[in-house]
Amino acid sequence: MISFGNGNLRVPKLSRPVYMVAAGLTDFRKFYPEKQSTELCLESLKMAVEDGLGISPRDFKKMVNFCVYSQFADHFGDQLLAAAKIHDYLGFDPLGNIEVKTGGATGGSSVLAGVMAIASGYASLVPVIGWERMDEVNTRQGNAYIASAACKDFESELGWLYATYYALMMRRYIHEYNPNRETLTKIAQKNHHYARFSPYSQLPGDYTVDEILKSAVVSDPLTFPECCAMSVGAASIVLADEETAFRLTDHPVSVVGTGSGSHTLRTADRRNMPVLLLPNERPQLYQDRKNEWPGFTSFLAARFAAYLAYNMADITDPVKELDVLETHDAFTVSDIQTYEDIGLRPYGEGADFIESGDAFIGGRLPTNLSGGLLGSMHSVGATGIFQLSEIFWQIRGEWNKFHADDKYWGRFGKTKPNNFENLQVSNARRGMAISHAGTGSHVTAIILERGWSSE
Amino acid sequence: MLQLLSWKGGGVVSKQRQQVTISADSKTKLADVLFRQNIPQGIILRENPRNITHFHSYGGISKFFDGLAAGTLWGTVCGSCGNAGIWLPPRVHCPDCWQEMSWVKIDTSQATVYTHSTTNYPGAGFKATVPCPLISVEIPGICTKLMSYLSEFGDGEPYIGMPIRPVFSQNPTYTILDLSWVSRD
Ligand SMILES: [Zn+2]
Repeated sequence: MISFGNGNLRVPKLSRPVYMVAAGLTDFRKFYPEKQSTELCLESLKMAVEDGLGISPRDFKKMVNFCVYSQFADHFGDQLLAAAKIHDYLGFDPLGNIEVKTGGATGGSSVLAGVMAIASGYASLVPVIGWERMDEVNTRQGNAYIASAACKDFESELGWLYATYYALMMRRYIHEYNPNRETLTKIAQKNHHYARFSPYSQLPGDYTVDEILKSAVVSDPLTFPECCAMSVGAASIVLADEETAFRLTDHPVSVVGTGSGSHTLRTADRRNMPVLLLPNERPQLYQDRKNEWPGFTSFLAARFAAYLAYNMADITDPVKELDVLETHDAFTVSDIQTYEDIGLRPYGEGADFIESGDAFIGGRLPTNLSGGLLGSMHSVGATGIFQLSEIFWQIRGEWNKFHADDKYWGRFGKTKPNNFENLQVSNARRGMAISHAGTGSHVTAIILERGWSSE
Repeated sequence: MLQLLSWKGGGVVSKQRQQVTISADSKTKLADVLFRQNIPQGIILRENPRNITHFHSYGGISKFFDGLAAGTLWGTVCGSCGNAGIWLPPRVHCPDCWQEMSWVKIDTSQATVYTHSTTNYPGAGFKATVPCPLISVEIPGICTKLMSYLSEFGDGEPYIGMPIRPVFSQNPTYTILDLSWVSRD
């Protein structure tokens, strides 16, 4: 079994403050032949610089000293060292850059790498640019490519389909905790609905619970609207040290918590161990627990990442102390699992986070107002960056600026829906994004907070 | 014969020139529809087919795949970590102490279905027919839950707790598909 030494649970500490100062997105589509990845990356960063910072690309580029690139799968893009092409396309040569790869958590890990670059003093202004091009192959081949991120000796051959690997967890989750099956579909319903108010979203729609339950079954019990889709698009954010941040904006957002965790690539290899407790959990909470942990129903990597991030940000009650949350809702079941792993509810009670209304706009911790992966996008390398962009806008009170403005709907050839809903969380001060890979092989938790003092 | 230019640049160049041609197997094909969508005007979408063979070694766990072909299920166990359980999938080294582990035959007499999902839309390259019930296998004394599939199933199968026994392929492919499970009843 896994046991921890003192060094393993050391809480991360930044050597100096790190701020997020801008964000930009393209729209996300299943098929995007109109634009190459270079063009998409440029457009997302251009939006961050021009619409976000309000400066010219030429002035911005004079200040940059390091870049981080985020792409999940070289075989999707079919171009090794694609980051070099994008770096050149953006005109950043000869600045140093790295490309980060941790599966579905690539976006979160890339931002973490950017944070480290700033916090260490290596750099003072770092764009983090993520994208994925998943439309060079058909969906069956795309699923096989994604399943190449399972163990090729023992698991990939068994379906070549990640939905199956999550469906195995879902079946076990239902067996152990017996949630209402409908509650799982409500996660998909919520996120497809919120996607309707995003000009960037790929799969907006209003579904009834019944429609979701009666949709075609990908791998039982998961139906199509409960699974994320292949996606093409890009997302960029800009990180800065304190001096640069306040030179660029009066309202920078501070990175107050970061955590990164991992667990076996093969779900099969998850050995039983005692529950790692979060700051809001007491040992007696699980003393009568019969089910294995983490088993097939929990993600040790997510719990570990949250443990570090909460301790770093001094969060003792996440539902109360966070105002907005983005989770990696690749599948409905993984979202419920994550609610428990990050301590929003005790193990086995994740469904209540949905049923109580907490996860909805107006609730205690609105989650995936962006539309999430189910409703908006999963251009894998862009995903973690997309999530943090949305949190960033929420904290700055700019959700409307970047979602309600007809300019963005028009930019992507869309029309804003008539019954538009305002999803700005009032007075949002602090938010978190969970970036997640594999069946929980890598997870990052990044907590952002208002970085300016309110007048 | 092509004459070489002299290094000083003043050599005589043959008037006879060689041709460079593109091999016949790279016939150009442009797509006009993908994902049931038309390709926008002015955009070129070129088909880029390939057929590649990789050569993959099972290295120190080759014995496991050899075992499947011979009808034996092998796991590994660490001699220095006490009763930490048998690894299935096997590993050469123990992740806790990095010592080499020992091979042991797995007793499957108490194997059951730990969880399951029947896949209808597998990814490309899946070699079994669909619907295919994929399972995770629980075996007492094993610290892991091997992923596998049922090669035979009836109504209401698989179910969690279903007693199962292994079946080994008569025509080994030397992949994990050589192992499947059927009801023990
Ligand atoms: Zn050992």
